[in-house]
Amino acid sequence: MVFEPVPLQPLERGYLRVLRIRSAIGWLVVLAMAVVADGLVQSRAGLPAGVVAGPVLAFGFVAIVFLVPGRWRRWGYAFTDRELHVASGWLMRVHTVVPVSRVQHIDVSQGPIERSAGVATLSLHTAGTENSLVVLPGVSCQRAEDIRDAIRARISDAPW
Amino acid sequence: MSPPDASTAGEPLPPRRLDPRTILIRFLKGSPSVILGIPVFLAWSRGEGVPLVSLFAVMTLLIGVTLVLSWLRWRFFTYQILPGQLVIERGLINRTRRSIPAERIQDVSIKQGPLSRVFGLAQVRIETGGGEADEGRLDSVSLSEAYRLREVLRSIRTAGGLVGAGDPEGEAERGDEPETVLFRMGLGRLVYSGLFKFSLVWIAAIFGVLQYFDQAFGYDRNQWRELFGVAERELQSRLNGGVILSVAGLAVGLGLIAGVVRTVLQNFGFTLAHTEARFRYRRGLLTRTEVVVARRQIQLGLIERGTVSGRLGWCALKVQTLGGDQASGRQQLAPFARPSELAPIIALAGLPPFERATLRPVSPWHGLRGLTGFVILPTLIMLVTTAVFPLAALLLLVMPVPLAVALLRRRYHRYGLAGSSLQVARGVLTRREWTVPYGNVQSVTVRRGPVQRLLGIATVGIDTAGGQGLIGPHIHDIDEAQAAAFVGALIERLEGTATHSNARCYLAE
Repeated sequence: MVFEPVPLQPLERGYLRVLRIRSAIGWLVVLAMAVVADGLVQSRAGLPAGVVAGPVLAFGFVAIVFLVPGRWRRWGYAFTDRELHVASGWLMRVHTVVPVSRVQHIDVSQGPIERSAGVATLSLHTAGTENSLVVLPGVSCQRAEDIRDAIRARISDAPW
Repeated sequence: MSPPDASTAGEPLPPRRLDPRTILIRFLKGSPSVILGIPVFLAWSRGEGVPLVSLFAVMTLLIGVTLVLSWLRWRFFTYQILPGQLVIERGLINRTRRSIPAERIQDVSIKQGPLSRVFGLAQVRIETGGGEADEGRLDSVSLSEAYRLREVLRSIRTAGGLVGAGDPEGEAERGDEPETVLFRMGLGRLVYSGLFKFSLVWIAAIFGVLQYFDQAFGYDRNQWRELFGVAERELQSRLNGGVILSVAGLAVGLGLIAGVVRTVLQNFGFTLAHTEARFRYRRGLLTRTEVVVARRQIQLGLIERGTVSGRLGWCALKVQTLGGDQASGRQQLAPFARPSELAPIIALAGLPPFERATLRPVSPWHGLRGLTGFVILPTLIMLVTTAVFPLAALLLLVMPVPLAVALLRRRYHRYGLAGSSLQVARGVLTRREWTVPYGNVQSVTVRRGPVQRLLGIATVGIDTAGGQGLIGPHIHDIDEAQAAAFVGALIERLEGTATHSNARCYLAE
């Protein structure tokens, strides 16, 4: 049932925290708007307080506590020295395979939230069009750099 | 072609400017929009009570400023061939100096638009691998200068010995190599091929333009009617009144004519020639285009069979390229040919031949997915719409077409791993066949939506270079277990092959 040509590794647990913080920030913005809407609804229509903000808070809570881990669990990767597999997606499952020899250049990046969680994002650029950038988030810095160095070594070995 | 100018190889010539007539051409090219704007402006100014004299003053000033600006642009644009590179300098305020290393030059192509032909000028494009379209464009120089540039640039490139090294076969590159004509389209075939390019869109465009002129110049509508009336009487007398020309018939006739005219304008005198490791095709009646496709730029081959022409055994050969004159995209190497004529071109393009017998069909669910997507859902939407707008029921009459497409879909969708290329066939109305050398597959993506997961099928996306926004060689709806095996086998082959084109060379900066 599960499409898995190679066994996949899960992302670092730290990345779950990154996803949760990002999701929380997003929901806080929505919540702020909901609170404003709440005030308007209360003064104009005389509805009880929390009629808008309440459900938003509940949805946000459910999303952060239950849905985000589900999304995190869907991520997986495998580096076989010959190709990199990256799988993700909750509704639409996407599994991308990038042969090492097709990589044009590689980025390892780390945002402030990721730094606090000790994870990094590995981005592979290929010459393709629809899928020219393949992103693998949530791996440890060490692992990201190891993969990068391995790919770089393979590229410079390959005959041009 | 004459041998390269010896003096240029020795000492560099001083920087040159473009042909001064370029200013005039640029002005004339820009003028249609000005001319079309005049009636609007006139109407407005009359309403506001602005005197005609000041109107002319403003227009003269505008024209003057435009001319001065084009002159300045011309004055500050120079190009120079230095040893091992072409340098283009431009800009008055933002001064830009661009040097194009000889080793990056793929080829030099020459294009002549209708205006340029009148003045004997040509646009020279220096083809490099970069993504930027305007990387090296000299617009315009005299035709003789264009030929000279091509010769010189080719010779400095060859002198560096860089091109030969890039070719896997180690073929030597020589500018004066005779070209062999591979494919040529005569007028008869050209017109015949135009019949299949039936297009009602162009009719709509023509009527749109007429409508526009009608309003812009305040033509009397009756004038048009009279004209049509004359045409109709003429037609009726010729047809002896035996045939009643319905509106639909007229539209079909116009659609055919529009298709033929467009095809003749576009593909007039289509000639595909081949020298060493490159193809060169020329085409066009008013705008004569010459495009060079180097063999190593070719990423994949595609044979397209049209809805009607395909059934009659005609097909088009396209190749997807990365880098070069047209930057990236698909080039038509033969727009309308018999399969037997295509085989030698495919072989010369270094593309693996099609091995149709080895291809496998996709999952039976493929048809079902099509049925829900193109038939059941649209029908439901139409039924709902009909409840509001009863006329929408007419749309239901066309539903047999998507129904047929959905039912036949699986039959025409095949895939397989041939000796040295991935091959995919897809499409019911327009049938397409791809051959992608393993070296040119950039990445593979397996996608499974919720419905596909339920049915245990997956879509395998094949990413290639240079195919922005084009229909790609993807394989829809194959069995999950087969998908895993297929991707594994494909990756195995990808690793075993060196990159056919040097895609990496182009992009690694």
